[in-house]
Amino acid sequence: MSSEHVQIVSPEMPAVRASRAQPRRRSQGRLRITLTQLLILAAVIGVWETLTRITWFQQNTIFDPFFISRPSLIGERIWTWMQPGKNSIWSHLASTLNATGIGLLVGTLSGFAVGVLLAQSRFWAKVLNPFIVSLNSMPRIAFVPLITMLFGLGLASKVVTAWFMVFFLVFFNTYKGANSVEQELVNFCRTLGGRPSQILWRVRIPTAAAWTFAALPNAISFALIGVVLAEFVGSTTGVGYLMTTSLATLNATDMFASIVVISLIGVSLVYLISAIERRVLHWSSEFRND
Amino acid sequence: MIELRHISKSFESKNDEIVKAVGDVSLTIEKGEFVCIVGPSGCGKSTILNMIAGFMPPTSGEVYVDGARVDHNVPPSLGYIFQKDTVLPWYTVRQNVGLGLKFAHAPKRDIDKKIDRLLRLAHLSDFAGAYPHQLSGGMRRRVALCMSLAVDPKILLLDEPFGALDTHTKTHLHSELLEIWRELGQTIVMITHDLDEAVTLASRVIVLSTPPSHTLLEEVIDIPYPRDVFELRQSSQFTTHIQRVWKILGNQFRVAA
Repeated sequence: MSSEHVQIVSPEMPAVRASRAQPRRRSQGRLRITLTQLLILAAVIGVWETLTRITWFQQNTIFDPFFISRPSLIGERIWTWMQPGKNSIWSHLASTLNATGIGLLVGTLSGFAVGVLLAQSRFWAKVLNPFIVSLNSMPRIAFVPLITMLFGLGLASKVVTAWFMVFFLVFFNTYKGANSVEQELVNFCRTLGGRPSQILWRVRIPTAAAWTFAALPNAISFALIGVVLAEFVGSTTGVGYLMTTSLATLNATDMFASIVVISLIGVSLVYLISAIERRVLHWSSEFRND
Repeated sequence: MIELRHISKSFESKNDEIVKAVGDVSLTIEKGEFVCIVGPSGCGKSTILNMIAGFMPPTSGEVYVDGARVDHNVPPSLGYIFQKDTVLPWYTVRQNVGLGLKFAHAPKRDIDKKIDRLLRLAHLSDFAGAYPHQLSGGMRRRVALCMSLAVDPKILLLDEPFGALDTHTKTHLHSELLEIWRELGQTIVMITHDLDEAVTLASRVIVLSTPPSHTLLEEVIDIPYPRDVFELRQSSQFTTHIQRVWKILGNQFRVAA
């Protein structure tokens, strides 16, 4: 009874359990780490802000506010964007977030479903293996213009691009997870009277879901990358669209402000998923990302 | 009643050689017996259990459980405890123990009553709401045992269930297992590499040879039940049985090494 299965591509490994230090020493250590991190951040911003104000540096180095703007200008720009009105960022932000959310949802659900299904049939896994491997190894970026051509300048092409990015990641992890169920556990459930469909729902799918969750933080980044790419190539809304217009008007402040906004979206989404993951996967120290 | 009629089992090894693990084993286990199978590693002890459970068919020979031929299907009312952890980590102790009854779509009230009884029997009542990762290794073994017992198996197959535990925990579990067996009266077939454990628990110890294995000795352990697992080891009867089995088994270990 070997647990041999068709290996397609190495998946994301779930996070390894962290070692336990003494609580007090750990919180002290954590504080020092946070302080040092803030210090580094402040230093980078400080150097950037100062040097872009000194004429010699503006003329002889890269610290020219025309090209790299300045932290205070960027902050100001984001503040203006947040005000309601013609230049408000909210509609762009909503457009990007909406596409990312839908793309992530569709990509995760379809990747999960196909992963679980394919793990049920060694025959189909073997048949589809070469197609999946070649699709996955193609540079996905090459498809973005085609997707835009097919689905137009709106929401649809953004969602499809995000889906395309997320699907394979989630699929591989789920497939691997569904195959990682130990034969002993399945046999044990058979002695408890479990039929194959019952074992699927109560044993295989929960195991696969844990692996799916482990892939989600990366899936978020991929979905966001997909949406921004689609906005680069052809769109009239979204934070990616703001970036291409900043390029067209050579506006460094707009460019950096958009980058900050995109990064904030990415970081908050990852935190959100980690919080959900901790609740859903509380039973597993192996899969929790803490 | 379990009957093994001249069963053998061969496997294909990684370099395409055929390895015969079980040579020719015939064995009859009566209803309500507690049989332990010992033998050198590689002699196909677990394989024999797997064939009784219908997880794999024998290469030759036949397996009968209660008169019905076992092939690819798990015989009804058969429980199996693995050496590995087989509790589901996303369920609480309670949900785990109730799994088999859920499979059978038993009414919720019956499930609850049965779970309560089993948890009391296994001294797990205080941990009903705990998740497996919060339990010790010995407790997880007891949960797996309760999961099995919940579906009222008439036959229990135990594959080195206490192998990974320390002596203290092991001895306690021995005592609990004997208690449960005396109360519920299943037929138990247990694999072990621990001769003390075998003589402590079993009414009969079967010694298998190095592969391809056959039966070398069937030692009836005539120490009456209920046995006190803590006192037992000091009795002369116990020592006599150990020595008799060891004379055969130790020789096999020497051959195997």
